[in-house]
Amino acid sequence: MATTKIDERTRWDTLHKNGPFPLKRFLTTKLEKTSTGLNDFARYNDAATEVQRLIQRAADTHERFRAIGSKWSMSSIAHCEDRMHFNSFMNLKFSIFEGEMHENTAYEHSNLFWLQCGNQIKEISIFLEQRGKSLKTSGASNGQTIAGCISTGVHGSGIAIGSVQDYVVGLNLITGPRPEDILYIERKSKPALRDTYAQNFKAIVIRDDEIFNAALVGLGSMGFIHGVVIEAENLYLLHRYVKKIPKAEALQLADSLDFNNYDPKIPNADFNGVHPFHYKVFMNPYNTNEDMYAVEFIYKIKYYENYKSDFGNPIPFQKEFVYLDLIYLFIKIAEKIPKAIPKLINALKTSILPKEEKTTVGKLSEIFWDAGFQGRAFACSFGVDHTQSSKALELLAALTRKHPVPGIFAMRFIKSTEATLGFSKFPFTCMVEIDGIQWDDDENIISLKEYSKKMIEVLKDNNIPFTLHWGKNANWEFPNLTEHMYGTERVKKWKKVRNRLLSVPMQEVFSNDFLDTVKLSEPLPLDDDLIV
Amino acid sequence: MRFFRTALYCYLIICLSSCYSVRFQVENAQWEPADTEREDAYAGYNVYTLDTVVTRKLTTGQHYFNIPDCSLGKGLHTVEYRTTFGGMLLNAVTFGRKKKVKIKYVCIK
Repeated sequence: MATTKIDERTRWDTLHKNGPFPLKRFLTTKLEKTSTGLNDFARYNDAATEVQRLIQRAADTHERFRAIGSKWSMSSIAHCEDRMHFNSFMNLKFSIFEGEMHENTAYEHSNLFWLQCGNQIKEISIFLEQRGKSLKTSGASNGQTIAGCISTGVHGSGIAIGSVQDYVVGLNLITGPRPEDILYIERKSKPALRDTYAQNFKAIVIRDDEIFNAALVGLGSMGFIHGVVIEAENLYLLHRYVKKIPKAEALQLADSLDFNNYDPKIPNADFNGVHPFHYKVFMNPYNTNEDMYAVEFIYKIKYYENYKSDFGNPIPFQKEFVYLDLIYLFIKIAEKIPKAIPKLINALKTSILPKEEKTTVGKLSEIFWDAGFQGRAFACSFGVDHTQSSKALELLAALTRKHPVPGIFAMRFIKSTEATLGFSKFPFTCMVEIDGIQWDDDENIISLKEYSKKMIEVLKDNNIPFTLHWGKNANWEFPNLTEHMYGTERVKKWKKVRNRLLSVPMQEVFSNDFLDTVKLSEPLPLDDDLIV
Repeated sequence: MRFFRTALYCYLIICLSSCYSVRFQVENAQWEPADTEREDAYAGYNVYTLDTVVTRKLTTGQHYFNIPDCSLGKGLHTVEYRTTFGGMLLNAVTFGRKKKVKIKYVCIK
């Protein structure tokens, strides 16, 4: 039997220390040991039974239940006061064979993998590389679990790819304690697996685009994501180069994403007119005289075995970090003298910004490798249509100069998602984000809550439609925020699917304070359900 | 007084320079995770600590010490060893018979 350890706790915190938050019980489930002789299907189903037992227990005690993975989110989306379930040890992986594919599928079986929820990006990459495959994209690092990634919309800067959820082709949800609450959902328009294969997991098959798209970015509230089916691709290499280019050129590329006639002039490589895999612009909001911006170009190239002999190891032998004590000293000064923030940021910029004029070539998992703990971090991340990216950046940077906070901006770009509440909803979404180190509220410096409220206001006042990264800091209490970002119809669509998948008591079990705050926990009234 | 001050400075210099730690990790394996409130390089890692003194006989060598914590077939992801002035002193005064061992390690998931 899979076993669950239950720890009585009083509090819980995110990896980046954005809490603490109150907590009663912390549950950790581990799979049945392989030494029992059970095969992986049996161990997977055994874990499902255990999760259903835990859901039943939560329902019986009128408590809420929430799955968490690596707790990388900085918002409180992963938190629930009653029962939090740590599922990182539920990490079985299944290859898919030809006979297991749906008869009308367009997918290649060797690219599909069924992954249990707790698989972290790094271990998935290792598993795939052993089979000559790679993920299509990841976040900037590799510690998140696959279920956590898709629940919050983790993204890189995949201009042609999208976010992590955009290569998920099937979802295995547990929506309650009954046998019929184990579901396998995929798009009707893009079927992947045979019903008989899903039955190995005792799942009822649903093929429906609307249900799949709503459940894809489910904010941890569409039931327990027990497994996902992803589409991988053959191994490839990424050629990364960071350089400074004129500010106007960097912003023009951001607004147009037109690389047809653009030559990045990278030494010993010809990427003239080639669309990059990834384009990122760094911006120090306090350096108004800056006429050059650091930009990161990453191009996809064909994989070959001996790339390290040509380009060296993309992972450094010695990884260095700024002393945390130094960072915290910096923050203490910033809290007392906010006017010093620009000077402090400029002093630390060589440590914060990537090294320029250096070619790095590696697999996706090597380019977006381990991120060390860099202290108590904050991040605010807005999605805007890429055509408005420079305008949004200028507005948010001007606000930041007026109310200095310890962080710098970056812009990344993502292809549109089909997920109903995916924040990459624009044809190409530019994520304008400020990352930095948390500060304590002090009368001398603006609070994060107030700062993030002003960020929303400045975009609204300038009629720039936006979304917010679900896993990052924001003023989530802002009135009517979710409907402003996604529109009433999309919100209703998402709630309608939640009504279909979860009974009203189960909707309460799979809700949390975050969902209450963004006004998504309340079930859709039956009348509205019929209309949408 | 001056003598004591000089002696204190020397002591501090020797102590500080002999007290350091070095961390190694494998680049292509997944570390074992843990939900803790750590705020250091091990945030999110399940860390084991071994802090002991091992004794060596005069007639034997090539010792190794077994680590029982990692799962079946899984090795070490990270090892950090720490040397201290006390540990070096102990080794010196016992002519190498007693060694202070202070390591942290993380298993592969």
